[in-house]
Parts: sequence; structure tokens; C-alpha cells
Amino acid sequence: MKLKEGFLLRNMLGMGVVVSIDAATPVEGVITLNDTGIFLWKTMEQGETTPETLVRALTAEYDVDEQTAARDVEAFVAKAREAGLLAE
Amino acid sequence: MAYYKFCELVVEMDPQFSVLRERSKPYLVPDGPADISLKPAPGYLRRAEESYPHLEAQWLEYMWYATAFYRRLLQYDGIMLHSSAVAADGRAYLFSAPPGTGKSTHTSGWLRMLGDRAYILNDDKPALRFFDKTLFACGTPFTGTSPLGRNARVPVAGICILERGEENRILPLTPQEALPRIYTQTIHTLGEKPMERMLTILEKVLCAVPLWRLYCNISEEACRLAYETMREGKQ
Repeated sequence: MKLKEGFLLRNMLGMGVVVSIDAATPVEGVITLNDTGIFLWKTMEQGETTPETLVRALTAEYDVDEQTAARDVEAFVAKAREAGLLAE
Repeated sequence: MAYYKFCELVVEMDPQFSVLRERSKPYLVPDGPADISLKPAPGYLRRAEESYPHLEAQWLEYMWYATAFYRRLLQYDGIMLHSSAVAADGRAYLFSAPPGTGKSTHTSGWLRMLGDRAYILNDDKPALRFFDKTLFACGTPFTGTSPLGRNARVPVAGICILERGEENRILPLTPQEALPRIYTQTIHTLGEKPMERMLTILEKVLCAVPLWRLYCNISEEACRLAYETMREGKQ
């Protein structure tokens, strides 16, 4: 599981905002992320990963149990996939 | 080459066709130096024709210059907002929405309502630019298919997202709520550096003026509701 190239994450208005900067893979709108989403995005930016790795990263970084982390990861991955951000 | 001034910037252009030439005329200035020089690459019209075969050359030229100018404007703390901007009593009210929603129809109602207290500053692509931390809407030659525009710069009273609705209703929007809607109504096919700059300006714009969402039908009542609410500016 990997992020596509050509996206930019920026903090603005107290949110994470992901936009497309590649004319070849245009995504019309913005995708907004909360703090967990920003953390997961940055983890995924480092390369190929799996949901399990993301859950481990999340529990290591935040004071959160594994079940909650798994739910957060699932929601994030679903959102990223729907927005066309994943190069499966 | 001729020199024009809009958004307080001297722009050098050489219009070949009548739409751009006529609409640029009110902005002519005697000489430079230019802040921005717009020179299309040779063969640009031929390439544009391939993308938009149904458009005449004069409209392709007009579109090229609009896009080129608004990309360059980002370097001057300015941004285009796809909207109809009406100036009323010296303040600008911007109504933004995807094409076909009724932006121009709504603002033309303001002219009927307010008479000579109001005019259309730019009916399609006004420029927004900060001067001394105040956000101004600026007339430009680039007014879309509509010829309506004026060489003026006016402080912004508010920005409103327009949506069709059965009943007239106006609600305040937070900058966070407005961002996704405003983002799609400006130039957002940009590389990394200009995108960074665009988002920085957009964030400042969204924090600088009151933001609204208007659900409206086509009626004088819709115009009155928008005007009276946005004029007060209280959210």
C-alpha cells in the first residue's frame, strides 16, 4: 500500500490539507485531514506500508489502544482510497 | 506591445484579437516599466485549438492571457476567484459557484435593487489582492463570456458561496468550511511552489473577510437578504 506521487500536504486553518500538484493526475478538490490523518499521511510518505504497520506506528506515537488505532487506520485508508490517493 | 494597469500592476501585453483588445482598453496606461510581461510562446493558439476546437481564436487568446495573468498574480499576494463581484456603496460582494449556478443572475438583481449605488466590478474572474493588510477586489480585463467589468479596486465586504435553493437562506461559513468550495473556484492546476503560494494566499483571504453560504431562488428577496446580511458582516 502506497501513496501516489504528485500530492502536497500542507497545514492550513488548523487542518491538514492535501492537494494535487501533478497535472497528469488531477484531483479536483482538497482532502482534509485531522492530526491522526496527518501523522498517517507522513508515515505513508516514507514508502510502501501495510495497515498493520500504520497501526503499530500510531500506537507507538499516540496514547491509543490497538483497536482504536485499527479503526482510525481503516477510516484513513478508506478515505485515501476514495479520494484516489493510493497507488494500490 | 502596450501597457495596462490592473490590480495596481503594470502588465505588458500585445492583444491580437478584439475581445482582449476591447476589454483591455479601459486599463491602458502610457508606458512601463512592466511588473508582469505576458508573452505567449509561438504556436500557442494552435495547441489551444486542439484542446478547445469549438472556440474561436479570439477566445483562446483571451483565455490564455487570463490564465497567464492569474498565475503570475500569485507572486503579488493576489488570487483569482471565479465569482461575480458586485460593488455596492464602495464595498465588494463576491458570489462564487460552479458555472451555471446563477452568479451573474444574482448580482444583476443587486443592480436592479440598488440602482446607481452598485455596479459589476467583474462578472466572472475578479482578482483579490491585499493592500496594507486589507483585502481588495480588483477589476481586470478578464471577465469571462460576460463583458461586465470596471477598472476599479474596492475593499471586500464578504465572499458568498451561492447555491440554488427553494427558499432563501443565508448562513455564515467558517474558513475551514469554505476552503473546499473556494479552492475549486480558483486556479489549482499548479506545481509545488506556486501551489504553496496559492494556499498561503487562500488561507489569508479566508481569514480576512466574512464568509457566507446563500441558498437562493431568483428573486429580489434573495438579493435583499444577501445584501442586508453581508453588509452588516456580523457572523
